[in-house]
Amino acid sequence: MNIALGPLFFDRMVLNVPYTYRGLRGVREAAEICLKCGVCCAVPEYGCPAQYGPQFNPRYTYVYDCLGHDEPHRNPSIWQCVSCHKCEETCPYEVSPIHFIEAMKQLALEAGSTHESVAAELEQVVSTGYAFPLTANAERQRQELGLEPLKATEELRRIAEATGLLRLLGRLRK
Amino acid sequence: MRFSFFRGCFIPVRLPHIEKVAAMILPELGVELSPVEGFTCCPEPIGFTVNHPLTGLAVSARNIALAEEQGHDIITLCNGCTYTLKQANETLKADPELRGRVNEVLAGTGHQFRGTVEVRHFAQVLVDQIGLHKIEDKVERPLSGLRVASHTGCHILSPPEVMGFDDPQVPMKLDAMMEALGVTPLDYAYKTQCCGWTLSNYGDRNGAARLLGDKLTAMHAAGADSVNVICPQCLAQLDTGQMLAARALKLEFRLPTLFYLQYLALAMGYSLEEAGYDKHRVRDPGFEEKLGRILA
Repeated sequence: MNIALGPLFFDRMVLNVPYTYRGLRGVREAAEICLKCGVCCAVPEYGCPAQYGPQFNPRYTYVYDCLGHDEPHRNPSIWQCVSCHKCEETCPYEVSPIHFIEAMKQLALEAGSTHESVAAELEQVVSTGYAFPLTANAERQRQELGLEPLKATEELRRIAEATGLLRLLGRLRK
Repeated sequence: MRFSFFRGCFIPVRLPHIEKVAAMILPELGVELSPVEGFTCCPEPIGFTVNHPLTGLAVSARNIALAEEQGHDIITLCNGCTYTLKQANETLKADPELRGRVNEVLAGTGHQFRGTVEVRHFAQVLVDQIGLHKIEDKVERPLSGLRVASHTGCHILSPPEVMGFDDPQVPMKLDAMMEALGVTPLDYAYKTQCCGWTLSNYGDRNGAARLLGDKLTAMHAAGADSVNVICPQCLAQLDTGQMLAARALKLEFRLPTLFYLQYLALAMGYSLEEAGYDKHRVRDPGFEEKLGRILA
């Protein structure tokens, strides 16, 4: 038995949660199993939505692009993944490209090459508690509907400091 | 049946009329909503949690801990919030080592994750806990003859062993929920395909418009009068996104998209305006006229 795959499959048997919650262990090994059968991107009705990108076709799919890149965490394609799990549902070999791509997004943040919209959202949530800006327009609409005003909170900053995210965000700002 | 009401971010900030409808309708079905002062973003899965999972888990754990302190299960109005909170809840319940690490991170906030509550989407509460017969009992004006294409959305379906809502490849529950209102539910190609909101906002905007165009065309070909969704991002994509895609792709039809609770409100006797339809970008006189005849 391949020792590198042991914990990976054990995790999957317990509960199918992203590998990233348990570290990056096994992610590359899982990607190497991919046979390039293309099933995950073959059928537009229920396949990978990112396959709609103009650079992809049935012989060069979105998933090959992500799994086959020399420096996958620097591949701009990873930001097209919407974590819908369609690839995982259709893959006959349980490769779960979603988990590989999510792991690469995590590496990109650590390497300082994350997408600018991700950096902005991380900042936004940590500093206000909301993923979307609390605009004057939103306040006006809430008032018209008789809903109470929204309050920003900075309590998440303490969490982000303890996990090291604040440090990463500080480095990105520089 | 009382729940800690997790409104999320997108609804209170961008679609507050859905918050209003939820607060108006759910208590009539016996679903009492307790506000929670300190709830924050779930946090959003694709832009936040996958990029820094430990912080994502800790923020989710803090939200769940607030509900635990209140002593109620969580009810959400959003597929994304459900996806994030349910995965965090199940992961932390199953993994004591990770739970310990997350609780260390939370130490400075005064909250601790214990694993004593459940996370549920409102559709799960309605189907699995309240029951469709109770919804049928509340219907004053059946929406008979209205043909509706339901879109369940990705993140409440998968991974199914965590989400526990419906079959990701053959989802049926939304159709059953619509049938309870008297609606004719429709089958159509692209039924399980993503709405494209996330692709449009983090990735390829044009690709997302083509995807949405294919999906809408399939709904239209099946004879849909309107669309039904249970997720605010899906609603934004099928409403505002539809307006943009229809312009770019020169689509010659419009499909008004309503949140399930809005259809429920209509069937319970509320007006289109009370249901917040006037806040939507895609409105169609043909749909309004047909609905008017059905409700007359």
